Formats: sequence, C-alpha cells, structure tokens
Amino acid sequence: MTVRTAPEPVVVDELITETADRLFGELCTHEAVQAAEDSGEAPDIWDAFCETGFDLIAVPEDAGGSGGTLAEAIEVLRLVGYHSAPIPAAENGILGGWLLAEAGLERPDGLVTVIPPRATEGGWSGGGACSVSLDGDGTAVLNGEAHRVPWARSAEAIVCVCECDGRTTVVSVPTSECTITPLPNMAGEPRDSVSFDGATGRAAPTPDGVDAGALAQRGALSRVALMAGAIEKMCQLTVSYTNERVQFGRPVARFQAVQQHLVWAAQDAALVRMAAEVAAREATRGDAPFEIAAAKLVANQAAARATKACHQAHGAMGMTQEYPLHHFSRRLWSWRKEYGSDAHWSAVLGEMATGVGADGLYPLITSGTAALG
Amino acid sequence: MSVSSETPAATADGVTSTLTPDDIRAALDGLLERRTDQTRLTSMGAGSDDLDDGRAYLAATVDGGWHVPTWPSNHGGRDASVAENQLIGSVLREYVVPDLYPFAIGLGMVGPALLAHGTEEQQDRWLRPIASGAEIWCQMFSEPEAGSDLANVALSAAEDGDVWRLDGQKTWTSRAMWSKWAICLARTDPDQPKHKGLTMFVIAMDAPGVDVRPLRQMNNDAHFSEVFVDGAVVPDAWRVGDVGEGWRVAMTILSHERAGAGSRGGGDGAKRGSRIPTWIADLAALGALDDPIGTDAARRDEAMSIYAADMASRWTAQRAADEARSGGSPGPAGSGAKLRTVSSYKRRAYLANRSAGAAGMLEDGHGYIETVTAPSMSIRGGTDEIQRNILGERVLGLPGEPRLDRDVPWRESRRGLL
Repeated sequence: MTVRTAPEPVVVDELITETADRLFGELCTHEAVQAAEDSGEAPDIWDAFCETGFDLIAVPEDAGGSGGTLAEAIEVLRLVGYHSAPIPAAENGILGGWLLAEAGLERPDGLVTVIPPRATEGGWSGGGACSVSLDGDGTAVLNGEAHRVPWARSAEAIVCVCECDGRTTVVSVPTSECTITPLPNMAGEPRDSVSFDGATGRAAPTPDGVDAGALAQRGALSRVALMAGAIEKMCQLTVSYTNERVQFGRPVARFQAVQQHLVWAAQDAALVRMAAEVAAREATRGDAPFEIAAAKLVANQAAARATKACHQAHGAMGMTQEYPLHHFSRRLWSWRKEYGSDAHWSAVLGEMATGVGADGLYPLITSGTAALG
Repeated sequence: MSVSSETPAATADGVTSTLTPDDIRAALDGLLERRTDQTRLTSMGAGSDDLDDGRAYLAATVDGGWHVPTWPSNHGGRDASVAENQLIGSVLREYVVPDLYPFAIGLGMVGPALLAHGTEEQQDRWLRPIASGAEIWCQMFSEPEAGSDLANVALSAAEDGDVWRLDGQKTWTSRAMWSKWAICLARTDPDQPKHKGLTMFVIAMDAPGVDVRPLRQMNNDAHFSEVFVDGAVVPDAWRVGDVGEGWRVAMTILSHERAGAGSRGGGDGAKRGSRIPTWIADLAALGALDDPIGTDAARRDEAMSIYAADMASRWTAQRAADEARSGGSPGPAGSGAKLRTVSSYKRRAYLANRSAGAAGMLEDGHGYIETVTAPSMSIRGGTDEIQRNILGERVLGLPGEPRLDRDVPWRESRRGLL
C-alpha cells in the first residue's frame, strides 16, 4: 500500500481578491464596459490594472513579472470575468508573459498578446496559419496569417509558440511588423486578424513541457476563470432583478417557473467556480490536463444553460443594451468557443477515460491527473 | 395529411375552386421574381429592416389580394377559403418574398382584429393601406410595469366630449419608429379590476404628445422603442370595440400574434426544387455534417431532431388552419405553435453558431445574429412560461395560478418594481 502525503495547500491571498474586486468594481461601470465596445480598448482601466501589478501576476519577478502563483492569477481572472473588465488580462500575463519568461525572451515595454493555438488532428498547432523560419542569431521571419488574436490592435508584441527546425520555439514579433485588421467578438472584445509578410521578431527555444498544447491548457484555464466570474455575476443580477420585478401582484422570483431558472443558474455558477478552483489548484502544483479539460467542458456547457436561464428569467429587460446582462452573456458565448469547444474537450476526456480502462475510471474521477500515471 | 400542390382548392362554400397553382403562377409571374438557389431570406427582422423591399412586394400583390387572401376583396384580400389560402401560400414560396417584419403587426394582428372588432368605417380606412404596405402599424401594449402581466397596463384614457385624452408610457413597442398608427391598450376605468377597465384605441404616431424613443438591443438593432404619451387626443371613432372590452380585443390580437409566430411551423424555406431546408444546406456547406461517426454525428442528430420537430409543427399548423374558420381567432392553441417555433429558432441558432467552430465567436460569424437574437424569441409576444400557462389553463383546463389581484380594483393592486 502506498501512503500519499497530503499535497501542499494552495492558498490565494485574500488581499488579491479584495484589491481586484474593489478596483474593477470602481472602474468597470456599465457605461465604461459599454464604451469599451466601440474602440475595443479601455486604456484607463488597463493603466489602473497595471499599477496594481496584476498585469504580470504569476510571471516570475526575475523575468520582470510581479511574482505570485498561477492560482492567484486565476483568481484575478475570475474577477475580470465577474466585472466584465474589458482588458487582455490573461494574454498579457499568464499566457504571453509566461511564454516570454519560459523562453528567456525580453518583454517589450507595453502590452503583450498571444496567437491562440488551433486544435488539429495531431494536437495543438501554435502559430496560426503562418510559417516561421529562423536564421542563426535568433531572428524569426514570419509569413502568413493569424486569426482571432485578442487585443492585437493594442499590443506592442504578438507572441506565439511554434515548431521551427524540429524545436519548439517561442517567437515574439513587434506589432509594428504586422498588418492588423480589427475584428470584434460577440461581446465587442478585440479578436483581430493579423497578417505577417516577412515580419521579423525574436525567437528562443522553450524548455520541456512548454509547447502549443501547454499554452492551450493555460488558455482554457484562463477562460474557465473568466467564465466562472461571469456566470456568478449573471446569476446574482438575475436573483436580484427577479426579486424586485413585480408582476401579477408579487415579485416574479416567487413563481416556481422563474425559480427553476434561478436554480439552474445558481447550480451552474457553483459548478464552474468549483471546477475553476480545482483546475487552478492542480495547475499550480503541476500538470493538470484532466482537471483543465473537465473544467473547460463544464464551463462551456454551463455557459449555454445559464445564459438561457438568466435571459429567460429577466424577460425583455435583459435584452437591452441599457441593462448589463448582455455584457456577461455575450462574453460567455464567445469564451466558450475559445481554447477548445465542447467537442474538443469531450474528445480529450474520452481518450483519457478509455486510456485508463474500466479499472482506472473511478481513480481518474477521484484523483484526476494523478491517476493518469 | 399533405395537401397536393397540383390540385385545385375548395372554396369557402365547399364548391371546388377553379383556382389552380398555374393560375396563381400566371398572376404572380408578372409581379414577383422567382426564388433561385442564390436567394437568401431573413425572418422576423433578424438583421434586416428593409422597408422598401417589403413595401414593393405588398404593393405588387395587393390588387390580386395575394398576400392576405382571406381578407375581403374590397380591403386588399380576395375572399379566399382556408384551402385556397394554403394553396396560394405554397405557391408564394416559389417566389422572392422579402422579410415582412416591419409590416407584420398590421398584416398579422391589427388587420384580423379590425375584421373581428372594427367598424365598417374603420375597416374602410385602415385595412387596404395595411395590405398594400402603405401604412405600418405597431402595437402599444407592454408597459414598464405590465409585461407578462399585460392586464396591468396603466396608460390612461379619459373621455373628453367626443375625444379621448391619453397619458402614460409604453415600452417594447416594436416598429414604433416606422409606424403611422398604433393599436393601443389603455385604462379607462381604474376602479374596475384590472382586466375589466381596459379599452382599445387606435392612435396616430405623429399626433402631438406622442414621443418615440428607440431602445437598443443586445443584437444591436433598435426595433423596440419606449413610447411616451402626453395628452395625445384620439377621436371616439378610433376606439376599437366597446369601452371596457379592451382585454377581449387584446386577446384576439395576441392569439393572432402567437399563431402568426407559429404559422410557418418553424424552419425557413427550402431552395426551389429541393427538399432540404436552407438552414441544413448551410450547415452542410460548412462541412459541419460530414462525418457520420465523429463529432459531426452529434450535430447531425441535433439537425435531424430539429427538422423532425419542424415538420411536425408544420403539419400541426396546417391542421389548425384547416380547422380554423376563415377570419376567426386562432384561440389559445396558438400558444403551442409559438412555443414550437421559438424552440426551433433557438436550436437552429445555437447549432449554426456551434458548427462554425472558433470562428463563430466573431461578430458576424455564422449564426451570430441569430444567436444574439435567440433569447428574445422566448420572451417577445409572451414568454414561454406565459404560453405554457395559457395551454395549461385554457386548453387543458388545469387549475389556475392563484391570482392575488384578479378581483381587486386596479388602482389598489400592487405593481411595479418593489
């Protein structure tokens, strides 16, 4: 019999939650979030966010970051989602910042974004639809296109991870080398198209374990955190509105038909938050492919149910731009498509489950990634 | 049961009509364009608010009475029987019929209500401009405090000689900014219980004291407005139905709205010469249905499940139309039609958007406008919950929801935001 020692607890400093909640609560008013949709940028909110150091949380201090754990960065992202803060918090920190730090590449002075990897038959492919060639002194030359790059229009540099000459390589390209076509996602957040025509950037090989698949997992985890916050807030808005709105002589929340919607939304909020916390904890300790795959699938499915339930319980009010529900529902519809669809993560989980076999299934459910051996 | 499109239809009095599909085509060929493989149609105003196309279509078809065949021939119809109406409808699907969203309240709701409750003078004045597209109508029913609880309307109408003076606020008034006229539910007696003190009026949208302020929706359209009414004057000749009978007239209008929302039975049309609905053809073109074993299999399942439900809805709608008397009110069963159509719309929207993969996250991605419009479908025109309540209470005869305010004078009832 093996005796396992209890893993180190992963604790998120309460000060982080309080600070981020207060910051976004003050800045991300309904009007500010709505206004950010027009240009896709909210410089005031981004600057205030940077002043707290949250922009580089979980990026090591010796690489110019703010330090802290991945779990703490994920908690900040949950609050970004909760307040629908219109900023590229994940891209600049735990995605782009992480890749640069791991590869030992210099951070530019300004915002960094990443090209989201694409799911392909053989796994994840990192560089969008572009080809990268290297010359001897660490210069990369890029040709081709990348799509749905978050906040490319605001960034100083675009980072991607790709295979070059048989080595996994991180490439950082200044946006001054690229042509950017601004495009919005369903929530008006920038998901721009970028074309490279002989763009030059810096390249460096990655250490083991840092590749397109690892970036996809971190990206998926970042979306789960954002979605957990958004569903929670959407649910709170719905409970509060249905308790105030009177029809037929009583608050509509007293009707069982409306209560059913509220219960679905509340279950989904709790479910996604728990999935996000478990995945963040395991990813902070080490690899967490099972927890992240499960969390993104749970979040994607919950987003579909909870947006339906919350919109229906709100009635017509929830459909207007003047009421904030849509900030959350439209973000959720977009985020569920990013870093892996339901079908993708279902297939990943299915492979894990069939891989461990019948006897391994229950340990996989109870112990997660640790049971994969 | 299916209606063969090549047999003549029976007339209202049961005698076989001489009207054949080829007669209809002969008339329509000079008026309208045939649909082609390239024809793309929107529905229910999703992404389209083109007034000119709809107006040109209605103007072209009004003399033959082809769009509202069951209406009287002197009011823009052609006195058609239910069967003739169906035959004309099936032939019309071979032609380019634009999205009539801007005109739908007049054609589908106000017109039938005026035929049922309007005076001869009112029918003469208003019906033909509805059928020809010359005059657009809106429906001023919902208010900030009267949504699902529609009978709670507060907008007041006070009699002043042979006119009425209207004061109050409406909201969610779709098409208000295009409208020349509105049919408006107003409270004429606040001392009666809420359903009893209501009266229906027609109000001119350009009258002094009527102020339309569009509300922008999350799908970025501004089809819905708030309408503020401040002392607007309405002649008594524009009252529809008796004083205190407003709820009954409203129920006629709403049953037409629900049945109208459900009349196509879900799913938009197929290309000419094809049995495959356009939305399935679009999915197939995306490659979303290619693989019968892998991840496409779930999409195929969902697509076929929606298709089967649509076909059942369509046949149910045809049967209901056969049973309904020409010009009669569709009744509470229209709620079932609305539930089915809404469910189909939402499922198609989500399937289309999901099938686009990551590119579906973009504004203007495949299924985008439908996805951000879909949540409103089960709310506008009466929520799913209200429709189920109607079916439960009025079709199945189940015990009613407890109603705390049914017999209380309206002015004493509890309402609004707490």
